[in-house]
Amino acid sequence: MPDEEIAEESLLTPTEPAIQDPLLRELLAENQIAPADSTLEKAQPLPPATEEVDCIVIGLGAGGAPLLARLAQAGLKVVALEAGPWHNPEKDFATDERAQDFLFWNDERLAAGGDPLAMGKNNSGTGVGGSTLHYTAYTPRPLPDDLHIKRDFGVGEDWPLTYDDLAPYYAEVERFIGVSGPTPYPWGPARPTGYPMAPLPLNSAAQLMVRGAEKIGIQTSPAPNAALSARYFQEGVGWREACTNRGFCQAGCSNGAKSSMDVTFIPLAVKHGADIRPNSFVTEIERNERGHVSAVVYVQNGQNHRLACKNLFLCGGSVETPRLLLLNELALTSGQVGRNLMAHPGLQVWGTFPDEVRPNKGIPGGLISQDTHRPKDADFVGGYLLQSIGVMPVTFSGQVARGRKLWGQPLRDYMRQFNHIAGINILGDCLPHTSNYLELSDEQDARQLPKPRLHFTAQENEHRMNAHAEKVMRDIWAAAGATDIWSFQRYAHVIGTARMGLSGDDAVVDRDGRAFDVPNLYICDNSVFPSALSVNPALTIMALSLRTADRFLANNV
Amino acid sequence: MTSQDLLPSSHVSAATHAALSQRLAETGAAYEPQFLAPETFRLLEAVAARLFPQPERSVPIPLAPSVDQRLTEGRADGWRYDALPPDREAYRLGLGGIQEIAQSLFQTDFEALDATKQDEVIEALASGNPPGAVWQMLPAGRFFEEMLAELTEAYYAHPWAQDEIGYTGYADLPAWTKIGLNEKEPREA
Repeated sequence: MPDEEIAEESLLTPTEPAIQDPLLRELLAENQIAPADSTLEKAQPLPPATEEVDCIVIGLGAGGAPLLARLAQAGLKVVALEAGPWHNPEKDFATDERAQDFLFWNDERLAAGGDPLAMGKNNSGTGVGGSTLHYTAYTPRPLPDDLHIKRDFGVGEDWPLTYDDLAPYYAEVERFIGVSGPTPYPWGPARPTGYPMAPLPLNSAAQLMVRGAEKIGIQTSPAPNAALSARYFQEGVGWREACTNRGFCQAGCSNGAKSSMDVTFIPLAVKHGADIRPNSFVTEIERNERGHVSAVVYVQNGQNHRLACKNLFLCGGSVETPRLLLLNELALTSGQVGRNLMAHPGLQVWGTFPDEVRPNKGIPGGLISQDTHRPKDADFVGGYLLQSIGVMPVTFSGQVARGRKLWGQPLRDYMRQFNHIAGINILGDCLPHTSNYLELSDEQDARQLPKPRLHFTAQENEHRMNAHAEKVMRDIWAAAGATDIWSFQRYAHVIGTARMGLSGDDAVVDRDGRAFDVPNLYICDNSVFPSALSVNPALTIMALSLRTADRFLANNV
Repeated sequence: MTSQDLLPSSHVSAATHAALSQRLAETGAAYEPQFLAPETFRLLEAVAARLFPQPERSVPIPLAPSVDQRLTEGRADGWRYDALPPDREAYRLGLGGIQEIAQSLFQTDFEALDATKQDEVIEALASGNPPGAVWQMLPAGRFFEEMLAELTEAYYAHPWAQDEIGYTGYADLPAWTKIGLNEKEPREA
């Protein structure tokens, strides 16, 4: 039991929360029990900035870690500020979903709109490695036309980059972190190099999807996954061991086989002199008289620190990045910060099989099909991929409760079939819409900062895509022999809240990730995506991160 | 094999063992509520006993304490439906609302009802449109979903519940090599 991690987490989520409950507030007032002083409640004199560094990187997930390594390799003095702790997975990570709760960004976000977005374990991490500590490691590349949804359909937004701009970075990331996948890859343009390792073995759900998809004429392939199918030598780390098929990717990998940032780019960055400061929560971004970022104020273990910098790379993810911009009134002239919030349709279909499935084993997303990337019979814009999914019992039970509304004996009876249940899901593109955005609410969190509120309502295009996908997935599962088939509507990955574009009139950053308003501020995470893409975002964030660093180095050093 | 066989074995890593044995150690122990008033806590226990009836166990898997502990510490899971008030308020209002439904349908407190009638109260809540003033301000469907999901996840995190569904994934060492259809390791038998 990683008690010490939970103790550290409690620093992030202090046990004296802001009192939102009016009844409790009244009681406390009546009894004159003052809540414990928070260090943030009173303005405190700021410590002098005793050092200045070339670059500060805020956030050490897929956006921050690759560029941190690149900048350190170029010889720059770089400091990374990560809100969460630095774990020792081998020792600290349990094969227990509850015990692993510390991996998630558990500060409360408010989910509003017609399809409120589940946060926390659904898509938001903390710690050195960020959300890659609990990503599924599913790392397909987008197909080239994913970046040109507006060109092809007249709606949504195009990327100011092409697939060819990113292709060399995809190849570099895949090789460096160790992606296991099929060569050749069946969809998209031919690639000069294949995946560095053979695909991971197919688990039961993947085998069932092969069986069902074959019967209805859908091509499948073992999926690219950022987890090692064989031992792999990692610069700055040494030998990383192969995946043990434990199936716990979404609750943290304990043997370093999953290519999260803490076992790949971060050790590389450290080897080249990067200074990693965990448990460092940024509260202020200071500017000088020219409007350039000059320093960052952060709280580490209850102490305020101030660190001066020449450049700032904001990589906090698509909730914390816009929150920091809004709180600091930074880079707001386009009016796009917090807007264009998109989330991938992630509809799941579950079924019960006569075969023994034991769905917790193996890499969860073993199989892929991109035959549905641009379906011929589509009545919607864009498309989606199909994926087989493994699942852990607690996560599954929560979805059964929410999705099937079972309780009492029927819930226990259904869950007894756990070892015979398998699922598939989609990951689909999403269009931006004016009703979908992030804002700061009036409600304060434990740090006395406004909680973010995320408005999300799926629109006609998402509904049509889901309907198409549900039929396809039900057909696959019926063909594979499933009974008691049911679907669970979900949306995952928050995207687009500080988008990239050609002009500061309608975008926050340019194609190199540099803020139009603030010349020494760069943003790299899924908030800069102009469109959602029809694939999981992590690989593209890493590729963009390396490109952002290269463009910065080309222009500044 | 069940958790009783597997937990003492070399198949369970130290971190995993620590998490599960702590959960087992808390099972059956007396629990004094710290956040909820004693009568509200008893009501939550009574509701949990219908959401997860455990007639076969002399000591049930405890569910209400994890809710009270979380509310005491002010822990969250990263998000909340904007339509619901903060969790502490939502639980207090919602549990009061369940009492209101019981009173409205049967003119009796929830705990005093027999199991069939208790289930009718819960069914009214789950339907999303129960009687009672509380439900004019608290969306019943969302509250029920949140409470049910929290109790469900607490239930299936327990080794006994994992035995019940045949899950052995916590036996995480050394590796899983039999992962395909109809394949299992000796420790899964």
